Amino acid sequence: MRSSQIVREFMENGKSKTCPVIDMHTHLGPYQGIYFPNPSPEDMIRTMDRCGVTMAVSSSHAALIDSRENIKMVDTVKRYPDRFRAYWVINPNYPEDIEEEIRQFSKAEGFVGFKFLSDYHRYPVTSPRYEPALKYADEHGLIVLLHTWGYSSYDSPKLVEKIAVRYPNAVFLMGHSGYGEWEKAIQVARDNLNVYLELTAAYAVNGVIEWMVREAGSEKILFGTDLPWFDPHYGIGCIIFSRITDEDRHNILHRNAEQLLQRFI
Amino acid sequence: MKFFDCNVCFGRPMIRPIRFAETAKDLLKEMDFYGIDEALVFHSRQRDDSPVVGNEILLNEIKDVERLYGTFAILPPQTGEMDSFEDLLEKMRLGNIRAFRAFPSEHKFLMTRVALGSLYDFMIERNIPLFIPINESCGGISGWYLIEQILSNAPDLTLVVVEHGSWGQDRFFRPLIEKYENLYLDISRYELDGGISDFCAKYGAERLLFGTGYPWWNPGGPILMLTQADVTTREREKIASGNLKRIFGRVRI
Repeated sequence: MRSSQIVREFMENGKSKTCPVIDMHTHLGPYQGIYFPNPSPEDMIRTMDRCGVTMAVSSSHAALIDSRENIKMVDTVKRYPDRFRAYWVINPNYPEDIEEEIRQFSKAEGFVGFKFLSDYHRYPVTSPRYEPALKYADEHGLIVLLHTWGYSSYDSPKLVEKIAVRYPNAVFLMGHSGYGEWEKAIQVARDNLNVYLELTAAYAVNGVIEWMVREAGSEKILFGTDLPWFDPHYGIGCIIFSRITDEDRHNILHRNAEQLLQRFI
Repeated sequence: MKFFDCNVCFGRPMIRPIRFAETAKDLLKEMDFYGIDEALVFHSRQRDDSPVVGNEILLNEIKDVERLYGTFAILPPQTGEMDSFEDLLEKMRLGNIRAFRAFPSEHKFLMTRVALGSLYDFMIERNIPLFIPINESCGGISGWYLIEQILSNAPDLTLVVVEHGSWGQDRFFRPLIEKYENLYLDISRYELDGGISDFCAKYGAERLLFGTGYPWWNPGGPILMLTQADVTTREREKIASGNLKRIFGRVRI
């Protein structure tokens, strides 16, 4: 195990010179149900530096609750252009705001696409209320980070597949990899060019990373942590200690994300 | 740094995990892969089957296996299914058993003083630690309410709560940590960014134990998280192995 250069570097230094990390699923700021020691952008950058995370793509916690907060992410990206990009949260509970939000999004700098939190907002990803954002993402080839959970009536892998087929130019990241419904999530990522498995929380499940790599390929897997929720070292540890190759580790930890973010950097 | 994993299961669980170690020998290979030196283990049959059956299986499996210490699953003494305390001690001495573990959801008993008082007193007198996963429940009480009930019934009990979850638990457990000095937590799912260093700054490193939750959880997570935690080397070593060794050093069997 320790023959892997990546494993050695992370164990000895907490980061790797040859294998940077891009975190495709982060948040920012305090949140209702959890105590965070490190919630500010500056705290997060300190954590990112310790872990070798070069870039984080975030939706602020405040924007998950009130989408009028989205615009504040512009400041964060402006202050730290080399460290942050952002997702614009779409809340389908306020459909009257969505067109205007898409207009604001189109003018704002630093955003790579949209974030849907369907389990919490309680509208399925297939709801017509998401259509304006999905159409826009499809027209512009944007990234859509979906919170996904196994067997959910709002954002299960099966529902993700429906929108992935309907909007083939949008890039869908299955946040949490459809947690628990692994077989279906892996199939959806494998069979749809525009769908990726995103590992936040999923990485902790022993053996699931090997399964994903074997069945979907490491080219379809992205690293994420929900930071400031989870210590990136926890997630990185799960990946580097999986029975996969260093090439797979590179793909998951940075290469795939670099490709997706190329036009936004 | 030496890792002493306080939270490991081997065997063939009824609900198949993606990956598992069926025998003690298989488990040692897994531990070698991750660089884990020693482990406190239970057998899946101790949870999925009757503890009476499972405890014997564990004894046979880890007999003469170095690096592995065993955990006995408990039942209320009143049904007579468990051995007498004297016989238990004898088996613990011979079988390298150093702790108890409670599965009240599966084995259907209450963790009240009425049900377990004599067993609690026995554990306290002998400094035998009791391990319990946070997802256990009994009599309509679960999670941290159950932990508080156990500790209010037996404040001097050495209690180790394992797999306490990643989705924000500090608000639940910190009041209990402050009140009960023999309460410990394993770090198998303490994924909170900055959690370990923040906890150590306030409470010291003595109350955290390295655990993985194998086979259900990926050991690589807690290994790298602890190796790189923003704490002193001394604190890291305590969590990795020192604290569990200290707890075991106090056990009188």
